[in-house]
Amino acid sequence: MNHWWTSRWFIVPALMLVSVLGWLGYVSQHDNGLIEGRVIDAGGQPVPGATIRIFDRGFVTYQERGRTQADAQGRFRITDNKSHSVQLEAETEALGRSERYELRLWFAAQDAQLPEPLRFKAKP
Amino acid sequence: MASKGKTATLLGLRHLTLMVIAFIMLVPFYWVIKTAITNENIYAYPPRLLPQNPHLFNFVDVWYLIPFPRYLLNSIIVSTIAVIGNVVFNAMAGYALTRQFAGRNMVLALFLSCMLIPFQATIIPAYLITAKLGLLNTYVGLALPMLSTIVCIFVFKAAFEAVPRSLIDAARLDGLSEWRIILRVLMPLSKPAIATNVILTFIWSWNNFLWPLLITRDPLMQTLPLGLARFLSYMEDTTGALYAFAVMVLAPSILVFLMAQKEFIRGLTSGATKG
Repeated sequence: MNHWWTSRWFIVPALMLVSVLGWLGYVSQHDNGLIEGRVIDAGGQPVPGATIRIFDRGFVTYQERGRTQADAQGRFRITDNKSHSVQLEAETEALGRSERYELRLWFAAQDAQLPEPLRFKAKP
Repeated sequence: MASKGKTATLLGLRHLTLMVIAFIMLVPFYWVIKTAITNENIYAYPPRLLPQNPHLFNFVDVWYLIPFPRYLLNSIIVSTIAVIGNVVFNAMAGYALTRQFAGRNMVLALFLSCMLIPFQATIIPAYLITAKLGLLNTYVGLALPMLSTIVCIFVFKAAFEAVPRSLIDAARLDGLSEWRIILRVLMPLSKPAIATNVILTFIWSWNNFLWPLLITRDPLMQTLPLGLARFLSYMEDTTGALYAFAVMVLAPSILVFLMAQKEFIRGLTSGATKG
């Protein structure tokens, strides 16, 4: 005898529901908008006090939506990211601007650590 | 022995031919999915067969760059209303057409002739009626023209005619009303017809573009095909995000079809072998 819970009309939607709920649970635990990273110069040394700018993705362009400062070890922390796709750029008067680093996230405001530091091309 | 060998060879050739045809038919799907997981331009020459640096971020972009969840919800609500309406109204109409009554043949002829009229020809009166009913820019209004379709009425009619007359007579003798005969006797025996109705209506409603374009005023009432058109107007450079959107629009109808394909095929062919 076939039970209703062995029907694909139950199993497939149930699996989808479980997956969606699991995903939403994961998202709710990791959507604090934190982005952490480091800034280094061309020689690999940390750059204290560098200004980090964050750009949000729009339809066709990226627009600046915040700034923060690197600490004495060149580390920085952005706490209010709301986007799913951002670009980060470091800037100092002496070194100019770093290349923009594109960070793509799996959901908006996902907590993330930059896999590699923002790097200035110029040496101090 | 030689005959057996010849049969096996013919069978192998037939399978090979079918596989080649299936492969050719699947190539466009592969190309859409390949473009969706890369950012390749589809006009790039020479084209790459395999995706380079595949990723799923295009799907994330689609989700956040436009109100995709809202469009998805609208499409699900409208398709659900259309599917329920189709199953209920078509079953009633299909049962009526299996009964003998004065002018039955004329009704059948009218239905068949109405199938020849394209929806575009009746869209203005349909719009005016919907406006008179005050259903513009509503979910019911979006589903209204899909609430009953003639093809699906005939699917139910064929399925109901395949049920032995004696069974319906026995149910009537047991005191069942006409409504309960449909609900308790005919519907449980017509699962392929129900599946056919569900699939056809879902796909038609899901892909409907012209009617939602006409009757929606609020952007938040738009359905996925309208969202796709809107997205296309922004992302003209044929990027992966556009194709990711196409995949996300297609996926639910493919899923519904795959789940009900066995009953769907049986439902479409149920009237073919009768008698």
